[in-house]
Amino acid sequence: MEVAEFGQDVSHGFNDELERIRSSFLQMGGLVEEQFGHALKALTDADSELGLQVAKNDVNINQMEVAIDEECRRVLATKAPAAGDLRLIIATIKAITDLERIGDEAEKIGSLAAKLAVVERPRTNYRELRNLARHVKDMIHGALDAFARLDVQLALDIVKADEEVDLEYETIYRQSITFMMEDPRMISRVMDVTWTARALERIGDHSKNICEYVIFLVHGKDIRHSDLRNLQADVRDPVDNQEVMK
Amino acid sequence: MSLPSRWISQLFFLGSSLGAALLLGRWFGSVGWWLVGGLALYLVYILRNLYVLDQMLCHGKHIPFQMRGLWAELFAKIEQLKTKSRSRKKRYQNLLREVRESTGALHEAGIILNSNSEIQWFNPAATRLIGLDYKTDIGQRIDNFLRHPDLVRSLEDPQESMLTIPSLKEERGQLAIQIIPYGKSQRLAIVRDITKELQSERTRRDFVANASHELRSPLTVISGYLEVLADDKGLPENWSIPISEMGRQAERMTRILRDLIELTKLDSQRQEGSIERVDVAKLLKLIAQEFSGKKSIAQIQLELHTDVSLLGSEVGLYSIFYNLIHNAVRFTPAEGEIICHWKLVDSGAEFSVQDSGIGIPEDMISRVTERFFRVDRGRSRELGGTGLGLAIVKHSLQIHEATLNIESETGEGSLFTCAFPKERVITQVEKL
Repeated sequence: MEVAEFGQDVSHGFNDELERIRSSFLQMGGLVEEQFGHALKALTDADSELGLQVAKNDVNINQMEVAIDEECRRVLATKAPAAGDLRLIIATIKAITDLERIGDEAEKIGSLAAKLAVVERPRTNYRELRNLARHVKDMIHGALDAFARLDVQLALDIVKADEEVDLEYETIYRQSITFMMEDPRMISRVMDVTWTARALERIGDHSKNICEYVIFLVHGKDIRHSDLRNLQADVRDPVDNQEVMK
Repeated sequence: MSLPSRWISQLFFLGSSLGAALLLGRWFGSVGWWLVGGLALYLVYILRNLYVLDQMLCHGKHIPFQMRGLWAELFAKIEQLKTKSRSRKKRYQNLLREVRESTGALHEAGIILNSNSEIQWFNPAATRLIGLDYKTDIGQRIDNFLRHPDLVRSLEDPQESMLTIPSLKEERGQLAIQIIPYGKSQRLAIVRDITKELQSERTRRDFVANASHELRSPLTVISGYLEVLADDKGLPENWSIPISEMGRQAERMTRILRDLIELTKLDSQRQEGSIERVDVAKLLKLIAQEFSGKKSIAQIQLELHTDVSLLGSEVGLYSIFYNLIHNAVRFTPAEGEIICHWKLVDSGAEFSVQDSGIGIPEDMISRVTERFFRVDRGRSRELGGTGLGLAIVKHSLQIHEATLNIESETGEGSLFTCAFPKERVITQVEKL
C-alpha cells in the first residue's frame, strides 16, 4: 500500500492534514467532472439552460482552487514537509491549476452548447464531438483515479490516450474547414463546433498534465516533454520504486 | 470449600515424599540434607512437567511422558480447550466463508465506512459497479473515488441518506446510493444500479403519455360528430337518449385523458418549472366561485385564517386545491357542507378540506391516491370522476415538498390536510 507511505514518519495529525488536502483535491475533481458532464449533456440534448448554468457554476471550482492553494501554502510554511510529502503538496498545487483550467474549458463548452442549442443541428447531432468528448471524459476520470490510487500505469495509459484525442481534434478541425468552404452560411456554427472541439482537446491536455504529476508524485521523476517510449521502462525502474517505498 | 481430589493427592504426594526424606534422615543422620534432597527431587519433577508444558504450548511438540494426578488432569484440560477452540475456529471460518460468499453473490455493492468515510470493507459487487480495488482502496476515503458533489455532501451528514449519481462505467447509467449509519459512527453504503429500472419507468411513462395523446384526436372527432348529431332536429326520437349518453361518456373520456396527460407531466418533472409567489386566498376564492354556479352541490365555506402566500407554481397549486375541493363536492350530498381552512401552523402552513360526505373506509385511506382506485366502483363512476384527481394532488404536493394527510370516518365525512413546509411560506411583510 503506497498510500500509507506518505508521511509515515511524521505525526499523525500531519498525515491527516495531507489526507485532507488529497481529499479536497479529489472533491474539486468531482465538481469538475460534474460540470463537464453537465456541459456535455447540454451539448447533446441541446439544453441551452443547462449550458448557461454550467457557465455560471464555474465560480465554485475557482473558489475551491483558492482554498486548496491556501491550505497547501499553509502546510508548506508551517510543517516544511520533505520527500514524498513535499511531492504531494507540489503535485497538488500544480494539479489544481490544471483542474481549474478544465473547469474553465467546461464553462466554455457550456456557453458554446447554449449557443449551438438554438441553431439548426446536423443530422448526426455532432457525433464526432460526442466521440471526442467521451474520450476526454474517460481521461479526466482516469486522471483523478490515478491520483487517488497513485496508479502509475493508469497515468501512463492516459498520457498515451492524449495522442488519440489530439488526432481526433485534428480530424474535426479539417472537417470544419471543408464545411466552411462548402457553405459559407455555416461558418458561424462550424466555428462554434471547432471551438468546442478545441476546448475538449485542451481538457485532454490538462488531464495529461495531472497524470504527469501523478508520476512525479510516485517516482519523483519529471516526465514532461520526454519521449513516451522511454517512459515505460523508466518508471518501472526498480531502484526508484524502492526509494518510494522507504 | 473442600479441596478437589487432584490437589489432595498432589499434597499427599509432597507430604509423603517429605515424610520419607525425614525418616531416611533419622535413619542415616543429617536430616536437613535429606529434606533438601527430597525438595530438590520434587522441584526437578515440577520443572520437568513445566518443560513438557512449554514444549507443548510454545512449540507444539508432544513429549510422551506419563503424567499422573493433578498434572495429567491439567494436560487433559489444555488438550480439551485446544480441541474446542479448533472446532470453534472452524465454525467461525465456515460462517465467515458463508457470509463472504453470500455478500459476494449480492448484486448490490456494500461498502463499510468508518467515521471518516474511509473504506473498511466492500464486496465484489463494489468492484463491478464502481471499480473499487482491494489492493489500493481499503483505508481511503470513499469520495476519493466516488467524487460526485452530491455524495460528498451527504457523507458529511450523519443521517441516513439516499441519492442518485451518474454511473462511472456506463454512459447513461445511474447508480442509487443509500448510506445507513450503524454501530459507533460506522456507516454502510449500498450502491445499486438502477439504470434499467429508470429505463422501464421512462418507457412506461412515455407509453401512457403517447397513448393518451394518440387517443385524444380520434376522441375529439367522435365528440364533435356526437354534438352535431344531438343538435340535429331530424334525429329519430328513439336515438336521442343513446346519442346524448354517448356524448356524456365521450366527454368523460376526454377528461380522463386530460388528467392522465397532466399526471405524466407531473411524473416527469421532479422539480417544478417556475417558482412564483402564489396568493392562496385569492386562488381559493377563484375556485370557490367556479363551484358556486353549480346546482345541487353542497355549500362551500372558505375559512381564511391567514393571508400568507406560498412559493410554488400557480398551476400546480390550483390543481391541488381544485381537485381536493372537487373531490369533496362529489362525495358530499347537496345538504351537506364543505369547509376549507387556510391557516398558519408551527411547521408552516396548512390547507384543509373538511366535508360531511360519505367518508372512506379506514383500510382504504392509504390507497385513495392510487391511480384509478375507487372506494366504491359503481358509485364514483356515476358521479363522473376520472379516478385521477387525488393522484394528481399527491404528485403536485410532492413537487411542492408538502404532505397529504387524510382522516375519515364512514358516513361522517373526511378531512384532507395539506401541510406546506415553512420554507415555502411567505408572510405579507417580506417582499419577494
